[in-house]
Amino acid sequence: MFVTDIRKEFYEAVADQRVALLVASDIDALCACRILQALFQCDQVQYTLIPVAGWQDLGTAFLEHKDQFKYFVLINCGANVDLLELLQPDDDSIFFICDTHRPVDVVNVYNDTQIKLLIKQDDDLGVPSYDEIFRDDDEDEEGGDSGNESDEGTEPSGKRRRFDEGSVERRIERQREKREWEARRREILFDYEQYEYHGTSAAMMFFELAWVLTKDTKDMLWWAIIGLTDQWVHDKVTHMKYVTDIATMQRHVSRHNHRNEDEENSLSIDCMRISFEYDLRLTLYQHWSLYESISNSCYTCCHFKLWTLNGQKKLQEFLADMGLPLKQVRQKFTSMDMSIKENLREVIEESSNKYGMKDIRIQTFGVHFGFKNRFLASDMVHATTALLESTEKDENETDNFIKALDSLSRSNLERLHSGMDLAKKKLIAIQQTVASCICTNLILSQGPFLYCYLMEGTPDVKLFSKPMALTLLSKYLLRAFIQSTRNKRCRLLPLIMAAPKDVEKGTVLVVGIPPESETSDKKNFFGRAFEKAAESTSSRTLHDHFDTSIIELKTEDRSKFLDALITLLS
Amino acid sequence: MFCEKAVELIRELQRISDGQLPAFNEDGVRQVLQEMEALYEHNQADVNETKSEQRADLLPSIRLRHCCLLRNQRCVGAYLYDRLLRIRALRWEYGSVLPANVRFHMSAEELQWFTCYKKSLASFMRSLGGGGGLDVTQDMRPPKSLYIQVRCVKDHGELEIDDGTLVLLKKNSQHFLPRWKCEHLIRQGILEHVVH
Repeated sequence: MFVTDIRKEFYEAVADQRVALLVASDIDALCACRILQALFQCDQVQYTLIPVAGWQDLGTAFLEHKDQFKYFVLINCGANVDLLELLQPDDDSIFFICDTHRPVDVVNVYNDTQIKLLIKQDDDLGVPSYDEIFRDDDEDEEGGDSGNESDEGTEPSGKRRRFDEGSVERRIERQREKREWEARRREILFDYEQYEYHGTSAAMMFFELAWVLTKDTKDMLWWAIIGLTDQWVHDKVTHMKYVTDIATMQRHVSRHNHRNEDEENSLSIDCMRISFEYDLRLTLYQHWSLYESISNSCYTCCHFKLWTLNGQKKLQEFLADMGLPLKQVRQKFTSMDMSIKENLREVIEESSNKYGMKDIRIQTFGVHFGFKNRFLASDMVHATTALLESTEKDENETDNFIKALDSLSRSNLERLHSGMDLAKKKLIAIQQTVASCICTNLILSQGPFLYCYLMEGTPDVKLFSKPMALTLLSKYLLRAFIQSTRNKRCRLLPLIMAAPKDVEKGTVLVVGIPPESETSDKKNFFGRAFEKAAESTSSRTLHDHFDTSIIELKTEDRSKFLDALITLLS
Repeated sequence: MFCEKAVELIRELQRISDGQLPAFNEDGVRQVLQEMEALYEHNQADVNETKSEQRADLLPSIRLRHCCLLRNQRCVGAYLYDRLLRIRALRWEYGSVLPANVRFHMSAEELQWFTCYKKSLASFMRSLGGGGGLDVTQDMRPPKSLYIQVRCVKDHGELEIDDGTLVLLKKNSQHFLPRWKCEHLIRQGILEHVVH
């Protein structure tokens, strides 16, 4: 059931209990977890934090802890599947789920006792009403003959039947109604569960809880902003929703910044200041050189088509048009001339309009504490994602989770900077892979979708054995492909990407993303498609990730799985 | 040369200066005592000779030996006393039961001293707090909060906290637990205090 008053039904219920937090591995979940940890620390609620990377981890963690905890809080996992059936808990376990995955499973919505959803009821849900799906079946009368199809249509014959004529007809009516109802139910459920998408950020939900409790701080606000920006960077929500949520956050930011700052009592430079920025869409540009950032950001790279010679020339023209000397532009951003940095954003916006890049600026937030430390929300997201999915040796997933969680604190700046270095490497790898895929025509049109497979020897292919990195690569690749292809029909197709995941076990990671368009609603149907294709070909797949459009597949089963998908989707 | 063995004892302690207790150098102490005995015998003989034959030329060597005796005494005294101070610090760090390897390094007399120290500390603690007793060996620095956030560095299995419930300490899980339950695990290196 949906929780209406989050303070009474959630926070006050767990305030004097011990809670288990099961947190998924994405940045939004990490931010939400930090906010909740800060609240729990404030009120001295004892908790245990367990990172979970997939359904199997969730099941194991639950089994290990079910005897010790009664209250479980699941962050960014658990809403889109029938949780009670998956975990088989005891009757007194209570689950609080704050998840951005939609559609929310109908059993979770209509269970009144054990599942409490920390989701706003109007959050773009479209849940079918109770009567359309559940029916109390106590209408079978005694007196047999309940499933007899041959009764329908035949006239009642014989004297024995005439006595029951009325009741037989009623029974036939009822059976027909029931069949119709069941057909409608299947249709409704199919429509409801067909597309997968994302709702409001979990970090924002918990920030609202903190606000209602009036325990919100600037740190929590910043984490909520990072959670929201993560949804935008990884393209999980539509542009409209992002802008609406930014407006909500902007109200909180102005509330926190409302201080009588004047000459006499200005805040110390070390205090944390969050400000609204209408900043450039160039990834990490303040921590890199401007040239590198333009060459490696998806937006500029795709518009200029920087994998072609022509594109490189256009970039040089663009820089010359703005009057930026190459020497300056290739330096670290912090060492650029002040005269250039002053109006940089406006200058770039003006020039990019000439080159067809109308939205080079995007609404976002930045933080500023101390003399050296300025970060944009998207910088933090890239750095933390790189740490979370780092493929260095001897680091397992939980180590990375802990490192990424730590990097969100303001006191762990070295970790954040190391994350930024990893993010830069990842972006360069993505751009190089995109360039090579397009130049060697690795993207094949299979009919209802586009398909690309990264071979094992490709440079940096190890980076793409992680789901978020591979998803980011696919999105960039799709945008680049749309810019470079002349085939109009191909521009409206979705993309499936496969990359080797585990060489010893011989598996590949397969990711499906929806087609790219201006008005895309980011709804992904590949989850169900993958399930059905795997079933029909009995391929060995592992649907372990919380996003159903990301699966692991045995390399040998790749071709038959693809064939099944093609037949399914054409 | 005289007194070298005694200085050797002192150097041994200085080498391991971070509060650890090296093994009790029984041989070294015995050698120093033997040297002292030898010096004393010589001195006795010389003093008797000087007194009986009124010889003044033995006086410098008597004085030298006397200084060596005093030096040896001071060195052995310092050695034994420093060890006692370290053993006292161990009580505050490890609690009243010392780990076996530390006890192995102590001599029998030192163990006896430790027991007496434990007893007097315990009776002192019992007398505090209006007869209720107060464990002063906990919370060496004033704690900022009742509960602390800890991260598990190694698998440790289950930990029971005051109301009987169990916490499973698995690697890389984070917990928010009462401070007094975590302190000895933090000292052992199983939990790590997370500071933000």
